[in-house]
Amino acid sequence: METFLQTLASGILIGGLYAIIGIGMTLIMGVLNIINLAHGQILMISMYITWVLWHYFGIDPYMSIFITIPTVFLIAEGISKYFLHPLIDKDSILPENQVLMTVGIGMVIMELARTIFTSDFKSISPTTTLRGEKIDIPGYLQNSIHIANISISIPLLIAFSISIFLTLGLFLFLTKTDKGRSVRATAQDKGAAALMGISTAKITILTYGIGSALDAAAGSLLLPIYYLYPDVGPIFTVKAFVITILGGLGSTVGAIFGGLILGLAETFGATYISMGYKDAVGLIIFLLVLVFFPGGLKRFTKV
Amino acid sequence: MKKILVLSLIVAIGLTFLIGCSSKEEGSIKIGVLLPLTGSQAKFGEMEKNSFDIAQAEINQAGGIKGRQLEFVYEDDTGKPDVGRMGMEKLIAQDKVPMITGGYSSSVTFAAAQVAQKYRVPFMVCTGSVDKITEPEAYDLNKNDGDKFYVYRINPPVSEYASGLEGFINSVVKPKSVMIFHEGTTFGTKGAEAFAKTCSKLGIDVLGTESYTEGTVDFKPMLLGVKEKNPDVVYMIAYVMDAALLMKQSKDLQLSPQIFIGAGAGFTMPAFRENAGVASRKVVSSTLWHQSLPLAGAQEYFDKYVEKFGAENTPDYHGAEAYAAAYVVKDVLNRATDYTPESLKNALDKSDLMTVFGPVKFTSYGKKIHQNKMDTYVVQWINDELKLIWPQSLADADYAFPINYAKEWAE
Amino acid sequence: MTNNTQNGFFKLTKFEFTAIAIIMISPLLFSWSMYFQGLLIIVMLWIILGLSWNLMAGYTGQVSFGHAAFFGIGAYAAALPYFHWRISPWWGLITGPIVAVAFGYFLGKLVFKLKGPYFALGTLASGEILRIIFGEEELITNGHNGIFYMTTWTSKLPYFYIAAALAIFSILIIRKIIQSKLGFYFLSIREDQDAAEALGIDTVKYKNLSLAISAAMAGVAGAFYMIYMGFIDPEVVFALHNISIITILVGIIGGVGTIWGPAVGAIVMIFIQELFRSSLFGLGPEWLSRLHSLVFGALVVLIILYMAGGIVGDWPIIANKIKSWKNKTEGQS
Repeated sequence: METFLQTLASGILIGGLYAIIGIGMTLIMGVLNIINLAHGQILMISMYITWVLWHYFGIDPYMSIFITIPTVFLIAEGISKYFLHPLIDKDSILPENQVLMTVGIGMVIMELARTIFTSDFKSISPTTTLRGEKIDIPGYLQNSIHIANISISIPLLIAFSISIFLTLGLFLFLTKTDKGRSVRATAQDKGAAALMGISTAKITILTYGIGSALDAAAGSLLLPIYYLYPDVGPIFTVKAFVITILGGLGSTVGAIFGGLILGLAETFGATYISMGYKDAVGLIIFLLVLVFFPGGLKRFTKV
Repeated sequence: MKKILVLSLIVAIGLTFLIGCSSKEEGSIKIGVLLPLTGSQAKFGEMEKNSFDIAQAEINQAGGIKGRQLEFVYEDDTGKPDVGRMGMEKLIAQDKVPMITGGYSSSVTFAAAQVAQKYRVPFMVCTGSVDKITEPEAYDLNKNDGDKFYVYRINPPVSEYASGLEGFINSVVKPKSVMIFHEGTTFGTKGAEAFAKTCSKLGIDVLGTESYTEGTVDFKPMLLGVKEKNPDVVYMIAYVMDAALLMKQSKDLQLSPQIFIGAGAGFTMPAFRENAGVASRKVVSSTLWHQSLPLAGAQEYFDKYVEKFGAENTPDYHGAEAYAAAYVVKDVLNRATDYTPESLKNALDKSDLMTVFGPVKFTSYGKKIHQNKMDTYVVQWINDELKLIWPQSLADADYAFPINYAKEWAE
Repeated sequence: MTNNTQNGFFKLTKFEFTAIAIIMISPLLFSWSMYFQGLLIIVMLWIILGLSWNLMAGYTGQVSFGHAAFFGIGAYAAALPYFHWRISPWWGLITGPIVAVAFGYFLGKLVFKLKGPYFALGTLASGEILRIIFGEEELITNGHNGIFYMTTWTSKLPYFYIAAALAIFSILIIRKIIQSKLGFYFLSIREDQDAAEALGIDTVKYKNLSLAISAAMAGVAGAFYMIYMGFIDPEVVFALHNISIITILVGIIGGVGTIWGPAVGAIVMIFIQELFRSSLFGLGPEWLSRLHSLVFGALVVLIILYMAGGIVGDWPIIANKIKSWKNKTEGQS
């Protein structure tokens, strides 16, 4: 029972973090109709920014969300405006040109990170040297609490809570504001949205920025839990698209459940099958859903 | 289109002449080194390259090889076997080196060793650890084919990484059961197998073997098995950051085996202690080398490296392997009659010298030939410093056992 | 075989003849360097893979993100009989494509139900799942240890000519297909699947056929990789980035939906990789060697942005630009 509960708790917490990565991906997928294969690399940009802010300026990773979100938002707007958007009007044989562009962009980002930061591992270690002084990092960045023999890591709990908070914020944005409604309208039917007077071009660019900004938040939340190196991106890209498919294309609510399902599938797979197959469990569920429930959870949630 | 093809052909031919001319340089003796200098393994590749560079400067300052300069020519294998093979071919066919050393990851090293064997150029491996590398069987040769076998190895094979640990476990820990956690790579899988074998030899029950893949954030579900099965020893083969995460999460779960043992690799690095924090305390690990070993030059090499590359970049056994390999190269070149692959191979066969990494002599045992037989050691994190604790005759600190981890972690 | 002069199998245009002749003599020009000959073999390998992807994506419009699956299956088809029963991996050149086609048949049943990004994701996942399974099933595949084999020859030439023959044969097959009715069906599926269906084309059948040919080619490439390299492991042959994605990039750089595109793409890709990896062949500063992936990534971005048809596809435009630039400079002087 204890094992079961611990696995459940681990799965839900990590699932919350996965969800926010997945929501970013699903928004982009819904509106731009592309798989953003640079998603993990954008997460990595945010992790490096968070690390630099922590390492050189002593800024708390959770505070740096206020810096990573706007910074990554602007970078993503640039990518979208100058690299992805021009491809829409380009005459090309393959409709997937934008996807392939994200591959190229991902490669460039990853290699730039390698050139600047080398392949070394970076992380937030329990004792850090800040301006020549050795300090212990605050407890909430490393400790864990125990509830009835179940160990819950505090940074993971914080990440989970902030993820939920951001998801709610996004939800309000999408349902209550004009911009948000335009995003949803564009996702549902580009032609109709354009007829209603929505500048779909602007909305498309904006959406890539918002999706990446959520990714950026996830990056800042992930750094205290995990570690960072230039090749970290692709691992999370794969997780993100699995979530997206589980949840259904463009469905935010679906992505939340998709994230949780992936988190739970991975942890239960690790506990009850084998840790080595952990990744395969997620992918196999993914393929089955893809084939047998092409709409993913969107069928049930409708949002 | 045709024009372009012709043009590019002309450019290619032009380039080849340029290269042909530039490599016709007399004077220095060139020896090839295959290492991962970019890609995800670059950190250790860099450490080994730095060590080769230090040794090269020292050797040349001391007069070089019979008055000629020694020059290491590096090839980057980027951590991929196919690129490693291409790199080997470049060293052999283009740089025309009479001997190659280096070889970091197991799969790249084995793939590269086949190239060396094919072209009959001696390849002295200094890190690649999968057992097969020095087993002639794997190259369709047999044990008597020593004179046809061009692969040599300084470091012990992965199956012997824990040999030093054996004594420690047998006479100090005396456990009844063990659980093994390892990364899902060649190194991890083979290491786990070898340790399981050691355990069955010592009559220790292996209660479970679990592997994990990269990108695992939360190890808790996997580690829970320890709580359930309650083994005496938790044995882990993991790279530095995962090693730190494993220990941190073991601490979170308040696991209480008699002892946590790491299989070298990540567990001996300063970054492990930094990242694991208090969770690193009293963790034991096997290792191939430690600077405090009573080997002439070991501490000097360590200090020199730190002086040159900074206190946060302390070298571990990888660096020592590379540094030692450079001196074996020097010794071989000094004894060889000329600088052809054949005469270097003959000189390698007769190698018998002392290095900072220990004695080097290529012998034949088990399925292996041209393998340097070497002791491995046991270290422990005591007072946040890595201390050599086994074998006791060489130790620079007393081992701490039994260990109350809960108390260590409580701070 | 038809004797039609338009599309006879071995009837070559002047350009094709020159290109093939250059391929055939190229290793002799590099006879002084096994290293360069080795690079040429790798180029041939990438040509086959690029062609394979191009048939499915460029001509049939089914953009696969998981070609490593076929490549890896082909490689293991050559390796596993050797590993278990010491049967020569050379048989893999026959068994590799067969097994890859069989796998492709089942994969097709699954993924052809999907469209657009779903299809891309489905193929991508198939490669990843195989990578994990082949890594874990140690008893059958030897897991992460991989499979080793002492290669047959020291000389590069036989390998080169076998690879070149396979590559040229693949090019000719593709050319033949594209000039035939089959090619027309493929193209119509790419342009508009619903319209093709309305015209009475059995799209499922032809998509499967395209997949089968493509899988067979990738399977051959995989088997040859095993034979030539003498080493495979799941991380190498089922690699998402190093095989699946690079295959796509080779196609894009050369030109999607062109016969010679993958060949040009493969040459450019290997040339850039080696140029930078070896720091301009040892002539440039050492730090250049760290930039090879960066330069390749940037090239991909620029080509998609400014040369959507790839080098071969946009060649008329490029040639025109060069011409007008030439005229301009000549006019000025």
